[in-house]
Amino acid sequence: MACPLTDGKRMTAKRLAEEAVLRVMNQSETKMNAIWLETSGCSGNIISFLNSSNPNAYEVLTSIVNLTYDNSIMGEEGEAAYDKFLETLNTEFILLVDGAVSTKDNGVYTIVAYYHGQRITAYEAVQLAGAKAKYVIAVGTCASYGGISSARPNPSGCRSVREVLNRTVIRLPCCPCHPDWIIGTIAHLVSFGMPELDSDGRPSVFYGTTIHDNCTRRGFFEAGNFAAALGEPGCMFRLGCRGPVTRTDCPRRKWNGYVNWPIGNNATCIGCAQAFFPDGMEPFVRY
Amino acid sequence: MTQRITIDPITRISGFLEISAELDQNTIVDAQAKGLLFRGFETMLKGRQPLDAVFFTERICGICSAAHSFASTLALEDALHVYTSNNDKYLREIIHGFEFVQNHLRHFYLMLMPCFVKITSPPIVNVEQYSDFRIPEEGTARLQEHYRQGIEFSMLAHEGQAVLGAKAPHHHGIFPGGVVSDLTAYKIVKVRSYIRQLLTFVSTVMREDTEVIAYYYPDYYEMGISYPNFLSYGVFDNAEESIHYVGPGVLMNGELQEFSPDNITKQVNYAWFNSSNEADEVNPEKKDAYTFIKAPRYANNPMEVGPLARMLISGNYQGGHSCMDRIYARMLETEKILNIMNNLTDLLELLPNGQRRLSIPDISQGAGLVDTTRGSLGHWISIGNKVIDHYSIITPSNWNLSPKDADGNPGVIEKALIGTVIADINSPVEIGRIVRSFDPCVSCATHLIGRNGDRITIELPV
Repeated sequence: MACPLTDGKRMTAKRLAEEAVLRVMNQSETKMNAIWLETSGCSGNIISFLNSSNPNAYEVLTSIVNLTYDNSIMGEEGEAAYDKFLETLNTEFILLVDGAVSTKDNGVYTIVAYYHGQRITAYEAVQLAGAKAKYVIAVGTCASYGGISSARPNPSGCRSVREVLNRTVIRLPCCPCHPDWIIGTIAHLVSFGMPELDSDGRPSVFYGTTIHDNCTRRGFFEAGNFAAALGEPGCMFRLGCRGPVTRTDCPRRKWNGYVNWPIGNNATCIGCAQAFFPDGMEPFVRY
Repeated sequence: MTQRITIDPITRISGFLEISAELDQNTIVDAQAKGLLFRGFETMLKGRQPLDAVFFTERICGICSAAHSFASTLALEDALHVYTSNNDKYLREIIHGFEFVQNHLRHFYLMLMPCFVKITSPPIVNVEQYSDFRIPEEGTARLQEHYRQGIEFSMLAHEGQAVLGAKAPHHHGIFPGGVVSDLTAYKIVKVRSYIRQLLTFVSTVMREDTEVIAYYYPDYYEMGISYPNFLSYGVFDNAEESIHYVGPGVLMNGELQEFSPDNITKQVNYAWFNSSNEADEVNPEKKDAYTFIKAPRYANNPMEVGPLARMLISGNYQGGHSCMDRIYARMLETEKILNIMNNLTDLLELLPNGQRRLSIPDISQGAGLVDTTRGSLGHWISIGNKVIDHYSIITPSNWNLSPKDADGNPGVIEKALIGTVIADINSPVEIGRIVRSFDPCVSCATHLIGRNGDRITIELPV
């Protein structure tokens, strides 16, 4: 396996996206359809996707992938919207699930549509599209592992996408998911097929190292210099920082136009990309 | 003869909303707004560490996460008796301000505009089901280009938030004691640069676009009128004129009244909850119930909250209460807030932030009430044995999207739909336009718990 550090630098989402655009323009690849299905969550992952800066969401939606359905941005509403969902099922498409899947009481806690007199649960829609999709991507921690939607006592019986679909699911955890990881993964699927995944189903290129490996405060940790309160310089490990166990490239990539990231802003990493977030990552701040 | 129209999903909002309207001829005579997402945040919060509420509750909503971190921080500061310096307060108002701008731009361009303008790129935004698009081709082409810019500028607003808040959504910036961020001269000029770029866009492009839509759809100044009752908890409620927007207030039937939190009650007559204070008493089989959203009332009145309410209460808007007034007021508010943010940056000093180790009391209570992007947001925390004993949230969309109450009064959006004349009942474009003018958010709205008619008696934080 190639070194994930150098790979991470070389294979940025931008490079992947540029490659995908070139291939679509040269018509060596056709634009693949995609469904973005919001389920039990906060709509934060579609907002994060819209925060993509390089390329931005408009470029992605016009040049790389043909998104046919997303509750938050699509033009049609009601049955005409759900028609788009159903039409896409008969094509080659990527299914992106944003949110956990509520399974309690057959999923009545999340209704995505009312179609020909029937309420369609998110549980049903995920199973329907999941059975037909060429690729399934779980976007964010709720879709990947259940996340905050399944926090104890899990009142709506939320489960991860993989728990309700018996097939390969690419996991892109983090709360929210970084837009580069979403676009980079889509671009990889469009241009090169399935990316290399780790044993947990995460693309190694984005999730190959822990935050601690590349943390800007790693030197403080090695020197035994620990912060006693938020806002102090020093390693925040003793304040509950989850950087040592959390696998993302946040310290190198950073967020929102690459301007900042939690530890860079004097805050602990709360392990929001981890399988046991939030229950297993608390307390977020230990005083 | 009556006939029922059901639209689900109402797309281009946050979360899952169904609107069901009963029509007599072409007029809506009854309407139900149904929030169809339930996660049960208050039940989850029970037993957790109080300080974790900040990062936990912001995950209620991906488009207004800073609103929840702000309200939970106020509630915790109230419960923990934490003092916050003006400098830190200004910084978190700037973080919150970027959330307003991000939200209002995303709402206007991505969610609302395709109701009125034939946007065809990206293809997912194209509308075939309706044909009432009145803006001529040339104007539409210009608005199409502005839609594309709207995506960029809303992204830029979140980038500005991340400079002080680490990332967005779900930022790490606002925390009891103020903010965690270090302030540098570089950050001040960087933040100011975002504010000025956004202000230029809003005061020219967004203003023009709003006026174009209002010009071609003047009938919407007569549609979507709800109750003449408006509520705000206040936001950017600073003493200095240059950074003041609105204080807590109530506008009841044209009369400005002092706000008292004791007047807030919440009811579950038509919501899928048993009359209990535990969210796991959710009951999707309940007779006559039709939504996961509970019904807050102020002195037994349904209240409209949001930009129009704030602009009316603060005396910054003299217009009416219609669908188009709501849209216009939101644009004016965006400009107003950007000016306040710009003025706030002039007052910043290069001081250390106010973070220090906080100790959690064995028993305490706190309230955090603040107006946020969509209106009035309240968090109430009760601490016992140093952990969260009870956490209660009333979101802005609880107010606007609420169902009928015990007296049979419809919720605010329901009321705005009743009386609407649908020109062609096979093409009911009017419903989505009116509903979206409120910028509803179901992700936020469906987490409320509380006893039937429970009176909230926790006082406002000082």
